[in-house]
Amino acid sequence: MTALAADGLSKTFGDEQAVDAVDFAVDDGEFFALIGPSGCGKTTTLRLLAGLATPDSGVVSVGGEDITDQPPRERPTNMVFQDLVLFPHMTVAENVAYGLKQDGVPEPKRKRRVEETLSLVEIDQLADRDPEELSGGQQQRVALARALATDPDVLLLDEPLSSLDRSLRAEMEAEFRRIQRDAETSFLYVTHDQGSAMSMADRMAVMQDGQILDIGEPERLYERPETRFVAEFLGDATVLGGTVTETGSQVTVDTPAGQVRADPNGRAVSKGATVSVMIRPESVTVGSGSIAGTVTDHAYKGFFEEATVELDGGERVTVRRGDDSTAELRSDGMAAAGVETDAFTVGDTIRLQITDAVLVEE
Amino acid sequence: MGSADEHHGFRDGVIAGIPVSVAVAVGVLPMVVLFVESIGPGLSTANYGEVVGPLYRGTLLYSLGVGVAVTAICLSIAYPVTYWVAHRCPKRYRLGLLVALTLPLWLNYVVLNYSWVWILARGGLLNHILTAVGLVGEPLDLLYTDVSMGIGFVYIYLPYVILTLYVSMERLDYRLIEAARDLGATNRRVFLDVILPSTLPGATAAALIVYARIAGAFATPAILGGPGNVMIASLIAEAFRQYFDYGFAAALSFTFLAVVVVALLAGAAIPQVREELRQW
Repeated sequence: MTALAADGLSKTFGDEQAVDAVDFAVDDGEFFALIGPSGCGKTTTLRLLAGLATPDSGVVSVGGEDITDQPPRERPTNMVFQDLVLFPHMTVAENVAYGLKQDGVPEPKRKRRVEETLSLVEIDQLADRDPEELSGGQQQRVALARALATDPDVLLLDEPLSSLDRSLRAEMEAEFRRIQRDAETSFLYVTHDQGSAMSMADRMAVMQDGQILDIGEPERLYERPETRFVAEFLGDATVLGGTVTETGSQVTVDTPAGQVRADPNGRAVSKGATVSVMIRPESVTVGSGSIAGTVTDHAYKGFFEEATVELDGGERVTVRRGDDSTAELRSDGMAAAGVETDAFTVGDTIRLQITDAVLVEE
Repeated sequence: MGSADEHHGFRDGVIAGIPVSVAVAVGVLPMVVLFVESIGPGLSTANYGEVVGPLYRGTLLYSLGVGVAVTAICLSIAYPVTYWVAHRCPKRYRLGLLVALTLPLWLNYVVLNYSWVWILARGGLLNHILTAVGLVGEPLDLLYTDVSMGIGFVYIYLPYVILTLYVSMERLDYRLIEAARDLGATNRRVFLDVILPSTLPGATAAALIVYARIAGAFATPAILGGPGNVMIASLIAEAFRQYFDYGFAAALSFTFLAVVVVALLAGAAIPQVREELRQW
């Protein structure tokens, strides 16, 4: 069942097309992420869904019902704002009770629901505190509880974790996932942080310049993106241009760096066609292979080491090598002799084996 | 070392002492003289007795009533205006609009009062327009009534209220309003639950600033009010200038001051209000 759907949503501000014919649907109980760089229109899209902005055209529906013309207070959606905006002159419990009060939920039931929601987000003991006395993570939980108390059909979240530091953010991401499962509510989560989105979402949509480029599960979008933009937005990617020389379940592409075998990614290509091949760092094995390159930079990243390698033809590719990977690769015979077991050295020529390359659209 | 400090202390004392004594002489001394006058001749409370007598008590209460009513009207106009300017008006027009709204602050208030005489008189601008359009057959008697005095007061004191309220209205995070709406609040609830609590200190500060000036105003009731609109300031002026009854005039002034100060202290006891008053 579809919980929330946007059909052809468009919004312009002056000359700027902020949201351009956006279509997507969030399923019941789904954690859906809407991601894209800042200024791509994702927050405007969220505001259109919440009713805080009016679309120029298009339809917003919840549970199959058209709510495009409903004001925010009548919509069965609630929003968690970027800077949380808790009511400063109300206690935590009063903040959480606010939506219930507006809906006319009577006192004993209201109190029970507030307690229930506070224990769902695990801050029961903070009920009588003022929001400003709380830490960033606790305020997050209050904001979440305030929006969840009325049991909305869909919760709209606008980068709520952006103000937290890295470790707290990771902790809260896991909590959001748990709370979303426990509350059995659909979450629509807007963020520019592709890492957060991939770790939390069941499915996600990537936006650019007001348009949705691709929708799918995080694994699919990361491994087999439709376009170059999606590939590069979701992680390190090298895209090589070339000509198809052989077709089949795998295509062979002649690139300036050498021949690369790639998955056609659902695309029908014929011999002689010009295509783009996307390569992730983890699909590159260092040691042997048909492609040669020169190390131009390297960096120690903790549990792995990363190097930038310039290929013949000038394209650069990022490669990684784990602490123990060389030994492991040797034991299974994948790595060849002549590879240094320690750090990459700038200026060295190394050979690369590329597996799992896919074709993408420019 | 110690003597240098003492020397510094002495010099600082002199430097600070001179302006302080000037301030005391200018500010406090006339008040003391006035107070001595009010309890004279000899040491009597006769003047104060007369002030609280039915005749003057009525005028005192009427003045305070006018102060409260005009302040309330100013606030009820300033709330929507400042909300609109701070949160709905495009940013690039905001400053110009604020300047336009507060322009009367830079004009002499006697002149401002007379501009309304010109507008509201029987042969004035407004009656010209009304009769020309055909809304009224006969020119209306608007001048020298409660209405004309009220318009004059609101016109002169509204800019103070707008400026003071604007500061806290602008500080109000608009997303709080959106959050309340999102959670189901009607416009009335948004005002009561979000806008009012955040701007109440500013509104109180604005009220404290204008209410005493309105209650003690001299020019507006004299220029725009009718014979029935006698306020405390004109009684004080009358006692001084016509009857040369300095003691009574002084007692009248002090009673008024006491009432105003009590209200001010009550308001300033609230920390948030004190914060808002600091800008003045």
